[in-house]
Amino acid sequence: MNDNRTKKKASLPRLCLISSGEECADNGTLLLKQLALLPRSLSCMVQIREKKLDAKELLTLARKAREIELPEGTLLLLNERIDLALAAGLDGVHLPENACSATVLRTIAPALIYGCSIHSHSALQLAEEAGADYLLFGPVFDTPSKRIYGPPQGLEKLGELCQATSLPVFALGGITPTNAPLCMEKGAYGIAALSLFHDTARFAETIEELYIHLNP
Amino acid sequence: MTPMTPVMPSSPFLCVITDEALCPISLAEQALKGGAAMIQLRHKRASGNQLFLWAIEICKLCHKYHALCIINDRVDIAMASNADGVHLGQQDMPIAAARQLLGHHRIIGISASSLKEAIQAQNDGADYIGFGHIFPTSSKKKDSAPLGTETLRQTTTLISLPIIAIGGINHENAASLISCGASGVAVISAISRAPDQALAADKLLCSINSSLS
Repeated sequence: MNDNRTKKKASLPRLCLISSGEECADNGTLLLKQLALLPRSLSCMVQIREKKLDAKELLTLARKAREIELPEGTLLLLNERIDLALAAGLDGVHLPENACSATVLRTIAPALIYGCSIHSHSALQLAEEAGADYLLFGPVFDTPSKRIYGPPQGLEKLGELCQATSLPVFALGGITPTNAPLCMEKGAYGIAALSLFHDTARFAETIEELYIHLNP
Repeated sequence: MTPMTPVMPSSPFLCVITDEALCPISLAEQALKGGAAMIQLRHKRASGNQLFLWAIEICKLCHKYHALCIINDRVDIAMASNADGVHLGQQDMPIAAARQLLGHHRIIGISASSLKEAIQAQNDGADYIGFGHIFPTSSKKKDSAPLGTETLRQTTTLISLPIIAIGGINHENAASLISCGASGVAVISAISRAPDQALAADKLLCSINSSLS
């Protein structure tokens, strides 16, 4: 196995910040502001997920993000597009369930980290076969943006899934500093969130608060 | 393995772009049967996995008919499916970045809607230019006026790259575009919405070839 990959995998941060998806063309500001505010002593996975941007704007944003000096161990990932991730020199991609398989993409970009969103046991199996580096599972708790898809998956299902795999699982959906420990008790490797980090005034504080609960 | 370097067609040709509303596989096959030399897979709403699966199938079909398979916007999908190239709009990945990923063994086409954009694309190292829209078109929402054949003629005179004319093209006006110096024409609805797609492609190609005699 690629040495670089093993190293990165072994040291995946336990907190995953997902960008809001609300950025407009001339306004990649929230994500860039968040990156500049990351506490220096803590590492994060940062997933750039801006579905409203076209490829050109996304590449510009990814390159700006890459230029920011980030805390050691922080990883920058882009949603799905390995072409843009490679062009911007990011660390990896996060694949939705309906993306091109990591098996295929790894033949083109072997050094990238590949994360997979999963919502079921069958998706878990596919992600394992594809050699995912980590999994993202949710929504664990109720979250307004996901209500249209039905009720949350819940802690029990998170626990079953973590039991069923040796891959690191990040819990997503309605995560707060209060319920984060419950996810960790169920076997989650870490947690992921979007809106929790929107208040940039309390951003660093929120991350520090969460990290207290994220040690194994 | 050294990849086979795809080559742009040397005589005036037909490029068929897939229709968002239809399955691209059967459309590609019919277009190829009718003589299309280039298929562009363009589905803005399809998932990455779906695009990849389609791209693999269309590449196979294209190579069976000695035609080129070009992927719109998604350089990642073009790389994954080993397609012949990509077609990039002005809001897609810049050519320089795409070239670095694809190398010189893959075709990069650029959409241009003015002489200025065409010159830029040529300077940036594009392999061909999709130029339009030449005539009024219903396939895509446009907020600018059609360029017309005179602008096409000026552009083909000043640009050395192959220029594929696009926008409102049918078998009645295709010949005039080749006469203006276009290397090929690209269509969506003229083929996709025809009752017999292969026949429609054949008819368009006949019109293209008639300009040569």
